Amino acid sequence: MKDLEKITNKSPFKVPDNYFEEVSNRIISTAAGSEMQKKPARFHFRMRPFMAIAASFLILALLSYTALRIFLPTEKTPAMPVLSLQEFSETILYDIDIYTLEEGIEPLASYERIPDVSDSDIIDYLILENIDLNDIYENL
Amino acid sequence: MKISEQDKDIIQLLKTDVNRGFRIIVESYSRRLYWHIRRLVILHEDADDALQNTFINAWRNIGEFRNESALYTWLYAIATNEALTLINRRNRNSTVSLDDIRSLLANSAEGSTWFDGDEAQIKLQNAILRLPEKQRIVFNLRYYDEMPYEEMSKVLKTSEGALKASYHHAVKKIEQILGSD
Repeated sequence: MKDLEKITNKSPFKVPDNYFEEVSNRIISTAAGSEMQKKPARFHFRMRPFMAIAASFLILALLSYTALRIFLPTEKTPAMPVLSLQEFSETILYDIDIYTLEEGIEPLASYERIPDVSDSDIIDYLILENIDLNDIYENL
Repeated sequence: MKISEQDKDIIQLLKTDVNRGFRIIVESYSRRLYWHIRRLVILHEDADDALQNTFINAWRNIGEFRNESALYTWLYAIATNEALTLINRRNRNSTVSLDDIRSLLANSAEGSTWFDGDEAQIKLQNAILRLPEKQRIVFNLRYYDEMPYEEMSKVLKTSEGALKASYHHAVKKIEQILGSD
């Protein structure tokens, strides 16, 4: 920056005398003879007739659809009886007898042994899985 | 960016009396814009043409001017475009190239009819003319107009970081050229 700092940043060019007064008048008189550009119509204004036609078609289609739904006979599926939660659970439970429940629960309740795997192997595995020792011995 | 009180008044006036508003714009900005253009195109006749085109362009599009940008940056952007258009036209038509202008400057003695600087300023102008176009604009706007980078980024539609880097490189190159002369 040192070299630049020695040089003034004043513009080193000359202009003819009274140039700025003369140029302002010249520009204003030229502008007066020149038309200002009219703002181009915005997109939605230009598209307004097409949007109106599209809206008319849409309304017509909706009216036709509604009329068809109202006046044409339709096959109705029987409505589901309205049940409260308590009624629903009671109905389900009465339909299931005790034998069905026992059959369903039995495989879960019985202890199924895995062939060729000893209890100590299972205990080691459970310890590795960080299962509490008390829980393991209680369930053996 | 803060819009100056003067710009606010002009914008307000444009809404009620566009002709008077435009007259005030021309009177307020013709000097600053002329110097900005002149430093880019160098020759007075070219600067005069570009200045007139700048204001006519501004007048035609005054309806498009939006309040969110300052009048000052809007006009500078138009002026820069006009100056660049003129330089490109000059290059295409091979009338007066920047090289011709540079040699004209180099041979220009103090007190010539169109140059008012001393020897150091002639050297500086020569160095500036050797910069790439964009760097030249950035250097002029920063060095002579002392335009903040924030405003410059709006005029040139370039990020502030890129403008700072551009100015830094321009200064380095100019100092190299000045040092080698």
